[in-house]
Amino acid sequence: MGNCKCDNPYLPYPATIKEVIDETVDVKSFQMVFDDPEVMESFKQQPGQVAQISIFGVGEATISITSSPTRKGILEFSVKKVGQLTAALHDLGPGSRVGVRGPYGNHFPYEIMKGRDLLFVGGGIGLAPLRSLIDFVLAGENRKEFGKVEIIYGARSVDDLCFKYDILDNWPKYDNTDVYVTIDRADMAWQGHVGFVPSYLEEVKPSPLNKYAITCGPPIMIKFVLQALNKMGFQDGQIITTLEMKMKCGIGKCGRCNIGSKFVCLDGPVFTLSQLKELPPEF
Amino acid sequence: MEKLFISRDSLKKLLDRLARNLNLVAPVKDPEGIIMFGPVADAGQVLLEYQNSTLPPKSFFFPQTERLFKFSYGQEGMALEDMCGSDKRVLFGVHPCDLKSILSLDPVFAGAYKDPYYINKRENSAIIGLACSNPSPGCFCATFGFGPDDGEGSDIMLTPSGKGFDADVLTDKGQEIVASYKDLFEKAGDSPRIAGETRLTVKKLDLTGIKELLDGNFELEYWNQVFEKCLGCGICTYVCPTCHCFDIYDSSKGGCDGERYRSWDSCMFTHFTMMAGGHNPRPSKKERVRNRFMHKLKYHIDRYGLAGCVGCGRCVKSCPVNIDIRRIISDLGEVSRNGQL
Amino acid sequence: MREIARDLLESGQVNLVIGYGRGTGILRTTPVFIRKPSDAGQLVYNPLCGNNLVKYLLDQRNKEGRAAVCVKGCDSRAVNRLIQDRQIDREKVYIIGLPCGGILDPDRVEGAVDPGEEIKETVISGEGYDLITAAGKYSFTMAGAGSEKCSTCQNHNPVVYDVMAGDPSDTPDIKDDGFDDVRKIEEMTVEQKSAYWDRQFSRCLRCYACRNSCTACSCRECVFDQVNTGWVSRSSNLSENTAFHLIRAFHVAGRCVDCGECERVCPVGIPLRVLNRKILMDLKDLFNTATPGLTPDGERVLGQFSADDPEEFM
Ligand SMILES: Cc1cc2nc3c(=O)[nH]c(=O)nc-3n(C[C@H](O)[C@H](O)[C@H](O)COP(=O)(O)OP(=O)(O)OC[C@H]3O[C@@H](n4cnc5c(N)ncnc54)[C@H](O)[C@@H]3O)c2cc1C
Ligand code: SF4
Ligand code: SF4
Ligand code: SF4
Ligand code: SF4
Ligand code: FES
Repeated sequence: MGNCKCDNPYLPYPATIKEVIDETVDVKSFQMVFDDPEVMESFKQQPGQVAQISIFGVGEATISITSSPTRKGILEFSVKKVGQLTAALHDLGPGSRVGVRGPYGNHFPYEIMKGRDLLFVGGGIGLAPLRSLIDFVLAGENRKEFGKVEIIYGARSVDDLCFKYDILDNWPKYDNTDVYVTIDRADMAWQGHVGFVPSYLEEVKPSPLNKYAITCGPPIMIKFVLQALNKMGFQDGQIITTLEMKMKCGIGKCGRCNIGSKFVCLDGPVFTLSQLKELPPEF
Repeated sequence: MEKLFISRDSLKKLLDRLARNLNLVAPVKDPEGIIMFGPVADAGQVLLEYQNSTLPPKSFFFPQTERLFKFSYGQEGMALEDMCGSDKRVLFGVHPCDLKSILSLDPVFAGAYKDPYYINKRENSAIIGLACSNPSPGCFCATFGFGPDDGEGSDIMLTPSGKGFDADVLTDKGQEIVASYKDLFEKAGDSPRIAGETRLTVKKLDLTGIKELLDGNFELEYWNQVFEKCLGCGICTYVCPTCHCFDIYDSSKGGCDGERYRSWDSCMFTHFTMMAGGHNPRPSKKERVRNRFMHKLKYHIDRYGLAGCVGCGRCVKSCPVNIDIRRIISDLGEVSRNGQL
Repeated sequence: MREIARDLLESGQVNLVIGYGRGTGILRTTPVFIRKPSDAGQLVYNPLCGNNLVKYLLDQRNKEGRAAVCVKGCDSRAVNRLIQDRQIDREKVYIIGLPCGGILDPDRVEGAVDPGEEIKETVISGEGYDLITAAGKYSFTMAGAGSEKCSTCQNHNPVVYDVMAGDPSDTPDIKDDGFDDVRKIEEMTVEQKSAYWDRQFSRCLRCYACRNSCTACSCRECVFDQVNTGWVSRSSNLSENTAFHLIRAFHVAGRCVDCGECERVCPVGIPLRVLNRKILMDLKDLFNTATPGLTPDGERVLGQFSADDPEEFM
């Protein structure tokens, strides 16, 4: 036993945390680098894909790769502390050793988005997967291939806004890129918009013409955003979202992430609203 | 395909030699009368006629608990040791339903991400099938288009005939075994095969309309009539030869060294889909019971084009509250015809 | 029983009757949940009604209205236990008592009947039953085909009920249980004992049917469902399985009513009852208590403090 030299998809690649960024009280971003430079080189993720992060002795969790593939040499993950693994990860600092395997799942279909305008609607930590696509679209030469970019993002409070450097500083600087930020409850320190994401979306009222809408956030937000988008004239095929189901293997074996006949880990996490409506209402 | 014959005496010799030269796994009865597949040292213990074992031979490809790898954080960094090898082994006496179930599991563990643990064991195992001369009353394999003498999935298929067994050699692996023990096999005679008759006694349920019904209806009033008595235990999924769900977890003593394991899990357990933060997309027994039957009768077919149930009758026999998939099938047939029970 | 159920539902005294219905084939009955008076005809009662239905009362804990449940003598002790633990409210349950002359063990009946048959009528005959089917009469004695647990039954009639369905059983209750099953194991040498239990526990699937069917297991969050508790992991192997069984046995100590349900449901034939009965026997020896659930107001051995506690193991 133990005598096999095969490609074992369950074996994580050793990686080291290089930097930790405090995003909010319970969200931290982790920049990681594989210990083996060849692995780093050959790890080719697409925007929207996920990885399994391991802390040996604790376990694994599915986390979206929030960094764009255009950013070479590191992988970035933004993690909300909710349970065992995520809490253990929050206790780690630069230099700590972890394991990463992936990339898994499908990706945002940016091929079909070329030449179109893009509307991103995110809530809380839900911006993490969107961010890989936003940065991908805005990066260098890619920017020319896509039309106008609108980003509507909200969180419960100022303190709960993730990626403040991007939403407040970096992204608004790009051409033809509008960022709208809102928080749920009024706050002395906040000059911007106050209100829930779905209603802000209806206020901003982006036109559905020649546009894809991509949304991710807490289930309740997604639900109302989808309704609002439909109301504003977006067709189901124009609306793209990601699904969350409990995961373990990430590779279609352990059976727990199924929604109907689909495994979220293999066939998702990215679905168009028309695909979603074909699935049983299990989420 | 070569058609051979092996007498009862020669079969005993074959088993003895296989047990000596390779690892032999075969159905045996323990002192409490429970029939299970297990490693055997001599042919005397092996059952040549039995009704389905309490547990299928699945665990010899997909053990209930399996170590995936070891890890250690040391001076030189982190080291992982893969545990996915397998020894050569012969699985003897596998009934047709269990053969079919292995074929149903194969595509789960193959595909874009190959599961080396399963695949290694599969490749290193030869399977000698055994036709059922006395199917149990719970068996309903005929429902799924095969019968108690169907050899598909085996390397050699034995069917009782005259004073021994007809041995159909179906694959190269089978051929290899026959070649190594040539002296024990003879040319097949023309005695009738006994399992030909048992084919008629096995129940064949009507599946007409069920897949279509489930394709079109996730919500069915019918599930309300089934779920309430379910105990939410893992019996039906743990005795099932086609269930493949598992959980992954780490165990470490002292913090530095440890191992990652997987263990069977069941969609009938509350925690199966319980997510961090307490949200559960399948909150009650109703959704869980529905998921199991949907998987058996629809999802597995959708994904792999293969039946998710092979009619072995194990869950029928073992469910403590008599949730009987045979009745579910006939009820769903009724619902598809009449819109209700 | 059917009439009682129909009346209870019609008069609105209860909105649910939990009882036994026809199962698939002669060997099985199945729990049924009757909500309409017109469905009361689905109820059956025969010597293959092995399940303890009391566990289902826990599902009704937070529901509106009153539920009726059919109980045999052994099951009825579980009702008392749940009331003592305040898991259920006596006012919210209506207990239909079933007289019992012993339950047949399906495994011991299996070979002798055509499993496709259905029981038309059951006749008590001598020390057993005649099962009348369309194909004829099958006769069984309790000695030959009865459930193990019934040979030590101390309550052939329920210890608590609101109404009895039928005349009380006159099968004599066993007054002084000799715990022969336990003693047989205690007589083994240490090596024999450990080989015996190792063989049993190594078969365990950790399917948790024993726990899920057990009326003493009413915790909302069970330790065995958690990962990384440090006590017992989710691995299924001899040492973890042994830990599981010992923890469970101690956890139900003083609350196990000896209904035998865990042993009945176990798919791999682990003699769980004898494990729990060892503890029951010791509790009886040490504290001179009755089987839990025998009386509605009985105190739990391990849920009380007494100054004359022998404290042998502390
Ligand atoms: C496609 C996808 C992308 C995700 N992206 C992110 C992200 O970018 N950032 C982030 O913070 N979180 C993300 N999550 C959620 C994240 O996977 C869970 O919060 C995390 O697994 C919880 O692990 P835990 O050990 O801390 O929690 P525990 O409650 O201790 O969970 C134990 C185990 O159950 C599984 N599990 C529990 N909850 C979930 C869940 N919601 N989703 C999947 N598996 C779960 C995991 O295997 C986990 O290790 C994503 C989930 C999915 C499905
Ligand atoms: S169907 Fe039966 S065996 Fe399966 S979980 Fe429910 S009670 Fe257990
Ligand atoms: S669902 Fe039941 S009958 Fe079908 S293969 Fe599984 S255990 Fe056998
Ligand atoms: S989802 Fe349920 S029925 Fe399907 S393989 Fe997994 S445990 Fe078995
Ligand atoms: S019912 Fe039997 S197999 Fe299942 S967990 Fe209990 S002892 Fe183990
Ligand atoms: S996470 Fe294992 S099948 Fe999807």
